[in-house]
Amino acid sequence: MFDFLSPSNIFILLEKLLNFINSIFFALLLVSLTFALVLSPPDYLQGDSVRIMYVHVPSAWISLACYSVLAFLSVINFIFKLKNFFLIAKSMAPIGLMFTCLAIITGSLWGQPTWGTWWAWDARLTSMVILLFFYIAYILSLKLIKPEKMSLKISSLIAIVGAVNLPIIKFSVDWWNTLHQPASIKFSGSSSIHSSMILPLLLMLLVLLLYSALIFLMKYKTEIIRIKKKNINR
Amino acid sequence: MITNFIHMNGYGLYVWSSFGIVIFACSILYYKTRKTLKKYENEFLVELQKLSSKKQLTISQKSKIANYILASQNKVV
Repeated sequence: MFDFLSPSNIFILLEKLLNFINSIFFALLLVSLTFALVLSPPDYLQGDSVRIMYVHVPSAWISLACYSVLAFLSVINFIFKLKNFFLIAKSMAPIGLMFTCLAIITGSLWGQPTWGTWWAWDARLTSMVILLFFYIAYILSLKLIKPEKMSLKISSLIAIVGAVNLPIIKFSVDWWNTLHQPASIKFSGSSSIHSSMILPLLLMLLVLLLYSALIFLMKYKTEIIRIKKKNINR
Repeated sequence: MITNFIHMNGYGLYVWSSFGIVIFACSILYYKTRKTLKKYENEFLVELQKLSSKKQLTISQKSKIANYILASQNKVV
């Protein structure tokens, strides 16, 4: 059923994708940084500190997106037992972990000049820390639990349980009175962010997504080679 | 003008630290991932070269991955 997802077929595609991303990445990074740091206007209230948004928001989005995919693939894994989906999830986890850390750190750096504090046990911030713990638990279960079959089961279970936290992160700013501001960009309804800030934000999101794809492809390729190496004499 | 750009009306420390940390973390992850990939590619190649030339040929004909790694190694050499 999933023959087109065989490692050999994917491997060749990975090479082409890696070359393509490598060829456009630095030019796009330069353009995005110019927009984010030079061309976009300061906020009328927050001044230049608003520029932190261009790394903070995409980091938070990517960390949530990675976990959503991780949880989804884990559910599929539980039902169909597809090794490939497990490899994809395994390759995505470190990317999600790094962007969760970055979202928390840059959020803290943004909080100090705007809220007057580096940290508050606010619902959004706390739920992001919980997400960080789920990522750590997922990665540790892959590394420490043996045999592989058992680690696959336990890590999938951790990913599925952690998915409960995703709607809490998303709606925490609506459900509770929090220090963190409500969402400025809405897919349904009008966004409260000025159009001159949307372009740099989307550009930075694109750059960080391409970077994530690059890391994912390299990690996935490593996993395929690791398996091939194990089975070389068969 | 450059001083203003660096200072960012008093927010320079926060803004530059944020961008700096993101770029630093991304570079470290990129470097580590690439290093691991190269390590596995080399180990795979060593394992392949340990095999008899007949078996090497069979594997490279059967496996696109082995074939690709062998070919890329030949390109580098």
